[in-house]
Amino acid sequence: MRELCEHAVAAALGAGASYADARVVIRRSQVVGTRNQRVERLDDTETEGIGVRVLVGGAWGFACDRRLDNAGAQAAAEKACAFAKAARGGSGRKLAPIEPARGEFRTAFERDSFAVPVADKVDLCLRAEQALQHDDVKVTSASVRAQREHKVFVSSEGVSTEQEVVECGGGIDAMAARDGITQIRSYPSAHGGSSSQAGWEFVDALGLEREAPRVGEQAAALLRADPCPSGITTVVIDDEQVALQVHESVGHPTELDRVYGTEAAYAGTSFLKPEDIGSLRYGSEHMNVTADSTTAGGLGTFGFDDEGVPAGRQPVVREGILSGFLTSRETAARIGSGSGGSMRADNWSRMPLVRMTNLHLEPGEGSLEELIGGVDQGVFLQTNKSWSIDDKRLNFQFGTQIAWEIRDGKLGRMLRDATYTGQTPVFWGSLDGVAGPETWELHGLTNCGKGQPGQHAHVSHGASPARFRNVQVGFDQ
Amino acid sequence: MSERLELAKRALRAAEGDETLALVHHERSGMARFASSEVHQPTLIENDVVEIQVVRDGRLGVASSNRTDDEGLKTLAARAAEAADSAPPDGDFPGLAPPADPPAVEGFDEETAALTPEEQARLAQAAIDASELDLYGFFTSGVVELALATSTGIADSQAMTDVAVLALAAVDGASGYAERTGWKLGDVDPAAASVEAVEKAKLTRGAVELEPGSYPAVLEPPAFAELLAYFSYDAFGALGLIEERSYAADKLGKQVFDERFSLADDALDAHGLPKSFDFEGTPKQRVPLVEDGVLAGVVWDRATAARAGDGHRSTGHAPPSSLRHWGPLPFALSVAPGDAGSAEELAERVGDGIYVTRLHYLSIVDPREGIITGMTRDGTFRIRGGKIADPLVNLRFTVRVPELLAELHGLTREPMLVNQSAYYDDRYATALLSPAVATARFDVTGVGSGPGV
Repeated sequence: MRELCEHAVAAALGAGASYADARVVIRRSQVVGTRNQRVERLDDTETEGIGVRVLVGGAWGFACDRRLDNAGAQAAAEKACAFAKAARGGSGRKLAPIEPARGEFRTAFERDSFAVPVADKVDLCLRAEQALQHDDVKVTSASVRAQREHKVFVSSEGVSTEQEVVECGGGIDAMAARDGITQIRSYPSAHGGSSSQAGWEFVDALGLEREAPRVGEQAAALLRADPCPSGITTVVIDDEQVALQVHESVGHPTELDRVYGTEAAYAGTSFLKPEDIGSLRYGSEHMNVTADSTTAGGLGTFGFDDEGVPAGRQPVVREGILSGFLTSRETAARIGSGSGGSMRADNWSRMPLVRMTNLHLEPGEGSLEELIGGVDQGVFLQTNKSWSIDDKRLNFQFGTQIAWEIRDGKLGRMLRDATYTGQTPVFWGSLDGVAGPETWELHGLTNCGKGQPGQHAHVSHGASPARFRNVQVGFDQ
Repeated sequence: MSERLELAKRALRAAEGDETLALVHHERSGMARFASSEVHQPTLIENDVVEIQVVRDGRLGVASSNRTDDEGLKTLAARAAEAADSAPPDGDFPGLAPPADPPAVEGFDEETAALTPEEQARLAQAAIDASELDLYGFFTSGVVELALATSTGIADSQAMTDVAVLALAAVDGASGYAERTGWKLGDVDPAAASVEAVEKAKLTRGAVELEPGSYPAVLEPPAFAELLAYFSYDAFGALGLIEERSYAADKLGKQVFDERFSLADDALDAHGLPKSFDFEGTPKQRVPLVEDGVLAGVVWDRATAARAGDGHRSTGHAPPSSLRHWGPLPFALSVAPGDAGSAEELAERVGDGIYVTRLHYLSIVDPREGIITGMTRDGTFRIRGGKIADPLVNLRFTVRVPELLAELHGLTREPMLVNQSAYYDDRYATALLSPAVATARFDVTGVGSGPGV
């Protein structure tokens, strides 16, 4: 694989490229899904190929080929160069310096997910589903997934890396319906569960079957719950929803390519400006956000990103002040600081983009109960249900699967159909407490979309429950 | 016989089961994505993905790979068989589709299929050169072939082309949007899209906020199409109906929308992006979903039809295996046109309201109620005295789609083909035929950022 990459890079340089890199990726993915006690998915996908990225006359080119031989490598390199030559040259694209290096990275794991028999995975899903059963639950579903990716990267600047990343995950859902009302509960997260860079020990530890009775009961109970009242109030948000809040309102706006407008036509831009670093108040003093591509178990963990930049840890927001961006070598050179380290591509057939790695809200202190104890009247919100945010990442609206009234520091009645909305810096400015390290959990998402053609990224967020004051819950018309 | 159908048959021979299916998904595409009037993210793809499905005792195993040599196919077949053997028997499995003559459709254009990377780069540049403002977006074209062979006797293939340009003309404080989509290069003019986006952008400077509330509104085709697509994934698929979680669950045959509103899924229409058969090999059918405001039907695949019984049959809407958990999907929605000559005429009918060009980041808040939230962007205006007037900042809306469709002031005569492809995973371009619409009720629940980058 390394020789193939070297062949592609040499071919690109021979075709006129001033810079070239090549990535060979071999990826195997497996999904087992059951629904209403029937097997719905038993998919096993393997894909391999080489992607070649070039700079010719200041213009980017990227092409890929599924053939892992010299002909495929050569063809991808030549096509990438041909495109770049036909595109008008860029405005002096520069890349931040990088040290020539050779390196390897492998995910540490205990139990190989692909060595677990598929029949055992089916059985786990069916048992978890069985435990979700309840009179009003109409749809039960369970799924587990596993992925292994072997990647080799070579650049014309002397970087040569080899990495093997494995991940797995799972989740369960119960959908209840009665009298025209439908409600859903999920565990450990909505939208496909949670994943980690780990072996099958991660799925074992999720305890899908153990948690299922509570999930089914809550879905059914929501049918009889009152709708969440609208108004401006204090909200305490569980760590899973905080993770998504961090993802949408901190992660995406701090991607420096968005700040420079390269996602404008699709995912959008950012309310941040390059000069905001070090001065913009993003939130209250309780807000500390860190990008960390070294977090054990994180889906954004690697040895080197897809430009060959070594993994690292950097503050993004420190005590409420914007202190860093997520960068590529190109955007780092443009802003004049940093060295990249956030470039990731979805497989061999996509060009790398600035992506989140693992982005964490650092813990504060105390327990969830203490956060709730500090609320006279408010709402506790748990597990994402819907999410939307504007193209500059300012106005957002999230819905959660379940909520509880808070009165005099105690949880009260269950509430359904809760939503909350806000403007990003105002909302984070209202943060007045983050629970402590013992409540901090890592949540792995596999559905982060960006780029055209579209790319999925797998990212993780560590978060604790957090409390926000004066938040608009629901909407008044 | 096409090269890909040959490959599908070769893969089928490698598979062993009570029933077997082999699907080849070929893609050759190029996308020149640009920002600030420079191409920054080009992607040229050539790939062949082979999927094998093996059925044993009603148990279905699926495996795919892009290795097409004999050894690769043999390994692939073994993985599909292992998956099938790992499931408990399923007596309700409907079996693979029987052979049938898929309808002849258009949807392939030699000129589009022949575009080279250099030509794709030049067509992107044509859009850029036509814009007075910084331009963001892409030009893309591709050729895709689906070839499907089964042990039940199906051996079909369809080659299809698609081409699209998306143009966002934007500077600080102003942005406008336009797009063109088709299956023939000759139907897509990158420069025209660019000019239209610039003209729209010029109108958006000085955007002001709007009080939340319910407003009459005109939605241009891109905005209406995206809202309908999100609503339809849950409302017009058989799985949601069977599971009682979709809006249609207890409303089939009832007058629930304005009588001006009719909607079908029609992959056979040459004005769309035609498809001949679905991912199970069932021929595509035109399916009326709403007729004169009456909820008329949903789309079906073999699994949902078998589960519902009662004479239901697949309408040719099985999705790719990776989306099977969604159930059958309407990928070729087509809204019946109305009588208005233009969106401006619809604004006259509205009198006082808002005008929306495009939506952003939609999310389904409640599928049963059809509640969807999202933002407007790149061309939101106030309508005053029947005219498009002052520009507005991006608005958060949270609408009950059935209420939005319950009272319409009209639709335009000429539908537009609106791209619905974000080009994730393997390319399978879809688009929606939609006119502009004027509704009596569009619920604005907040304000966001202004136009521009």
